[in-house]
This record gives sequence, C-alpha cells and structure tokens, in this order.
Amino acid sequence: MADTNTWQSITVDSALTALAKRREKQVVVSTMTAMRPWRDSAETDRDLICVGFMGGASTFGLGVQLARPDVPVWVLDGDGSLAMQLGSLLTVANASPRRFLHVVFHNGVYDTSGAQPVLAEGKMSFTEMAKGAGYAEAIRFDDIESFDAALDELLEVDGPVLIELISEPTGESFKEPKGGAAVHPTGERPQPSALAAIWPKVRDSLAADAQ
Amino acid sequence: MPTAEAIQAQLFLNAIQAAGVTDIVAVPDTHQRSLIELLDCTGEPRFIQTATEDEAVALAAGLIVGGRRPIVQIQHAGLYACVNHLRGIADDGRFPMVFLIGLLGRDPNLLPGEHGGSMVRLAQPLLDIFDVAHFLLDSPADLDKLTGAFEVAESRQGPVALLVGVMTN
Repeated sequence: MADTNTWQSITVDSALTALAKRREKQVVVSTMTAMRPWRDSAETDRDLICVGFMGGASTFGLGVQLARPDVPVWVLDGDGSLAMQLGSLLTVANASPRRFLHVVFHNGVYDTSGAQPVLAEGKMSFTEMAKGAGYAEAIRFDDIESFDAALDELLEVDGPVLIELISEPTGESFKEPKGGAAVHPTGERPQPSALAAIWPKVRDSLAADAQ
Repeated sequence: MPTAEAIQAQLFLNAIQAAGVTDIVAVPDTHQRSLIELLDCTGEPRFIQTATEDEAVALAAGLIVGGRRPIVQIQHAGLYACVNHLRGIADDGRFPMVFLIGLLGRDPNLLPGEHGGSMVRLAQPLLDIFDVAHFLLDSPADLDKLTGAFEVAESRQGPVALLVGVMTN
C-alpha cells in the first residue's frame, strides 16, 4: 500500500495549465473541482460539463468517444465523483476507447460541500482500481513537474488511460454553472440546465469536423 | 381487461433497425433477454453494456452529442435506480433519449397500474412525476411506436419511455 504521508500535491490550476497547453480538438468533460477553473480559462466549443448527475462524467465522455473514435476525449473527474460510480471503471475498460484520457483530481475530500473526507482516504488508490478494472494504463502523480514531463507520452498511449493527480483542495463552494437553471414557474416543465445550452454546440462542432 | 402479447425478438429488432437506431446501451434485463441475445449477436445496431443504469443514461447522452441515435435498454428496477441521471441529464439537459424498459413480472391480463406489487405498478407514475412521455408495447402491433418515440423525444427535447409489457420471446 502506498505511504500517503510522503505524497506531495499538485494545485488544480497548475494541472489544468499543463493540460490546456496541449489542447487541440479534444472534447473535454469537466466536473467538480476542476470544472470552474477549466471553463474560466480554457473553454472552447468542445467542452461539456457534468453537473447534477455526480459520477457521470466518465461515461458521458465515453459515449462521445464511442460515437467519434477520431476525436480524443478528456475527462476531468473528481475523487468523490468517481467514487459514486466506481462501476464506470469497468464500463470504460470494457469499451476500450483508444483516445480516452481520464484525469482524476484526488484531493481526498468533498471539496465544495465542506471538505468531508472521501471514504477510505489513505487506504485506497484509483490508480490500482483502474488497473484492476482493465484500463490500458493508470498512473499517479503528486508533483506537477513529473506530470507535465510525462503528459505528452501519455497522450500517445492507446487508452483508456487514467491519471490520478494528488491535488490540493481548493476550499471553494459550489457555484451554479454559467447559464444554470433558476426557480421555475409552478406547473411548467423545469427550466433546462446549463448543459442543455452547451451540448448542441459540441454536437455541431463535431458534425462540422466530420464533413 | 387487457391481454398483452409477447413480442418476438426478431420483430423487435426489425423495428429497432427500421427506426434508425445506431446503438443499444443496456444493462441486462431478464424481461428482454431474447432481444438482448439477438442484439448481441447481430451487432447492428451496436450493443454497448454498462455496469449501471446511471452509466447507460450518461453514455447515451454522449452518443447523442456525437451524432448517434441510441436507445437505453433497462428494466423497471433500473429505472428506479437511475432517476437522478434521468432527470439531470435526459430531462434537464434536454436530450432526446428513448428508453426501452422491461416490466418484469407484469401480468399480461392486468394494466401495469392494477398490479399489487410496486415494481410494475409504480413505473408509469414515476415517469409521470418526471414528466417523461411513455407508451406501452403490449403487442407486435405496437412496434410502430418506436419510430414515434423518437419523434416525440425530438419534439419535446427530452426522454421518452417505451414500456415492454410482456417478456420478449
């Protein structure tokens, strides 16, 4: 078992910067801690979000990859989020998406709800779980220099690839994503979520690329 | 009193193909076993299995983003398990998503709402609460509702459920 007491940690912003400078035409699904800073700094017409269905980011991205194997998909996931749908590791591994990068920000807490600990923190490893599930590659980083140095090579590996980043909690509270739903009039269909406005743009961007 | 009939798997598959379905995203369902077996060996449409119904909904949404036309194939117990993803993705996210939901244990001589047990009886009320349009597939003649379900899903920009009333054969 890993000695977690010796781990360093990576700031979310530095990890996102390393990813953003390699961004081309990938579809990116972001959720939880990484979502807001990613959207604020690196959003394009190929960004999807996972809000209101915690744990769904990786299989949402998997669907895009299975529809468009020619377009790489990155998923920016959270530890508490992935813990809610651990079976998704099997679903992803079984589908064997070749251009699928699953980044898990492992900060050890439910950051936006008050830093309650993620279960079995200090005992469990998403890297080992992904390997056991059948991911093609799974690796953990706890310093930004090693992550940044390895990333180019990892992006060339036939996936699915999981990268577990030992990261620092941000301490930020949850904020409704841009364009999110507000209170709706009684008796009417609830207003659409922010995702409803986002995904057609990604669909159109992908369709244009296929022509 | 209704007398629902089983739908033969091959007829079901023909209707699915005629509706232009590209992918079946499924958690195995005893009620639709013969159809699943046929889909799995036919390969057209593509059969994609997930570990949970939550994942099936999220994966189908991703397929739609990528331009595909999937169906989510689950059982009523799976519907109860995935209501938050049904709400959070398919409904609030305005995804035109069609579901095939097996009513395992349904007595073909009763309407679903007439059942004493909760598994069959509560499926339609639950869908009503979540504002999901739904239709019963109670005989081969109902298979034309497949294409209609996609039309409704597109016009409403939301989920539509087809309830498979009798175990497929």
